[in-house]
Amino acid sequence: MRSSRFVALAFLPVLSAAVLPKIDLPKDSPVTVVSADFGDSNETARGGAMLLDLHAALSLRNSSARRIRGITLLVMAQEATPGGKGSVTYPSLDVGPQETFPVRVDLRLLRPLQASGGAPVQIGLDGILFDDLSFYGPDKLNSRRTLIVSEFEARRDRKYFKSLLAEGGQQKLQQAIVESLAHQADRPAFDVQVVRGGRATNFEPEKQVQFAFLKLPDSPIEPTDGMARISGNEARAPRLEVKNRSDRPIRYLEIGWILQDHSGREFLAGSVPAELQLGPGQKSQILENSTLKFPQRGGQPLAIEGMTGFVSSVEYADGSVWIPSRSDLGTPQLQRVASPSDEEQRLVQIYRKRGIQGLIAELNKF
Amino acid sequence: MKHPNEFQLALFAGGDLGLWDRWQVRRHVSRCSHCDGEVTALRTASKQVREALPDLPKDINWNRLAEEMTGNIRVGLAAGEAIARFDRPVVRVRPARLGLNAALVLACATIVFVTAFWTSLPREQAQHLSSALGKIFTSQTGRHPAVAQDDVMLEASSSSIEVKENGRTMMLTHPRSDGGTVSISMKGSAGVRYVDADTGQVTINKVYYAEQ
Repeated sequence: MRSSRFVALAFLPVLSAAVLPKIDLPKDSPVTVVSADFGDSNETARGGAMLLDLHAALSLRNSSARRIRGITLLVMAQEATPGGKGSVTYPSLDVGPQETFPVRVDLRLLRPLQASGGAPVQIGLDGILFDDLSFYGPDKLNSRRTLIVSEFEARRDRKYFKSLLAEGGQQKLQQAIVESLAHQADRPAFDVQVVRGGRATNFEPEKQVQFAFLKLPDSPIEPTDGMARISGNEARAPRLEVKNRSDRPIRYLEIGWILQDHSGREFLAGSVPAELQLGPGQKSQILENSTLKFPQRGGQPLAIEGMTGFVSSVEYADGSVWIPSRSDLGTPQLQRVASPSDEEQRLVQIYRKRGIQGLIAELNKF
Repeated sequence: MKHPNEFQLALFAGGDLGLWDRWQVRRHVSRCSHCDGEVTALRTASKQVREALPDLPKDINWNRLAEEMTGNIRVGLAAGEAIARFDRPVVRVRPARLGLNAALVLACATIVFVTAFWTSLPREQAQHLSSALGKIFTSQTGRHPAVAQDDVMLEASSSSIEVKENGRTMMLTHPRSDGGTVSISMKGSAGVRYVDADTGQVTINKVYYAEQ
């Protein structure tokens, strides 16, 4: 998949052509760019740097013969952040052959004045997932795994809402959607910083805190032990021990990480992923050396007191995945902190815009 | 043989010594011709003064005269000291030279001590201390380091996510939503998931620092 197709972009009075992003899709890409609009984009000097404010509205066409279920675009600005990169993922799509769909990239880039003359931003393709779970793309960002987990969650949740509709009619479906809306509104919002390397920057003394684990009966992975270092509002260097209790080899897993503060508030802080080769019955240890920091957002500063872990996804060696069931997600602690799936959020949005009939029509599509 | 000093001889000649001292000096003078000659000379001078007394003015207050003479001598000494100070070429006292040297020695010793202390600290504690000092500096001066982040940092909030490296920033925003859900991976990525208000599409923006 050699890149060979560059899209010529329209001249814009507010943004010189030199700083327009280069959209670079593989020659045999299943999607093509129909149009690109950079409307309100601009670049301004700010101190000793240039601030590029990019708003790209792309229209992509599915030029393949299969339905697209998700896509991930890779956004790179090597000049600005040599080690960093970004991505924009659209899960829960249902784009048929020759149909077009919109993609937005809203980006701000602070780069040096002495930057070289090339395009500061490159937008490429990292992967596309089709409805038959086949995948296309270089997968540099492990998009395949992300999109497949999202697709499995979408299938689970569509099945769940369809069953509610079948069992209790539109009233029961409506009740479940309203509960989901309330649940989304109640979820605690927080800001977080992630720093590579394990180092605490707080004055408070660091302490080791043991994980408690949520028991998910169907999970192929059993977390047996775990701890992390906690200092005030920082959590770092989680260490977990897991056991494969299934009869299939596992190559990837993610442990969700719930933190509790001194006042009893709980929130899903993040996940601890691990790529490993774990045969049936085998144990393994997961170590990560990053630091999570939760900045104060007014009010009481966060003081982490306890932690709970749960298995949030597992990928078997054959590429199939395990995700928690709807009954697992009904566990009170998970229900409080876990965010709804991409598909559930989309369905809730359809209900808000088009009402219960619009939602039923959407569920009946596939 | 130890000779009596001139004061003892003068007092002996005038008959003003105490009983025991007078006996000792007399015993010595009787054996020492040199001291005997001194005593004889002193007695002769005393006799001459007494013979000259009628020629001196009457009603002299000898005590007052002695005090005046002492005062004059002191005034003279003070005046001489003042004149000597005035005439003396100005010599700059240069304690600074000594102070600079001392400061240099002290600075070198401090550098050696701090370096030894810093290098002997465990890495984590050194970083912790460095961070704490940085915070103190920041809180005291109100200034933040302009481009002082050596680490790659990811920041996620419900409105945006960004990756920072050496003061350079790449930020992904989502202006067409009501707020998003933050997700963090300890492998080195931060993401925000939101529903686009216009299209209803779920969008996940992520930034990474890990080599993936």
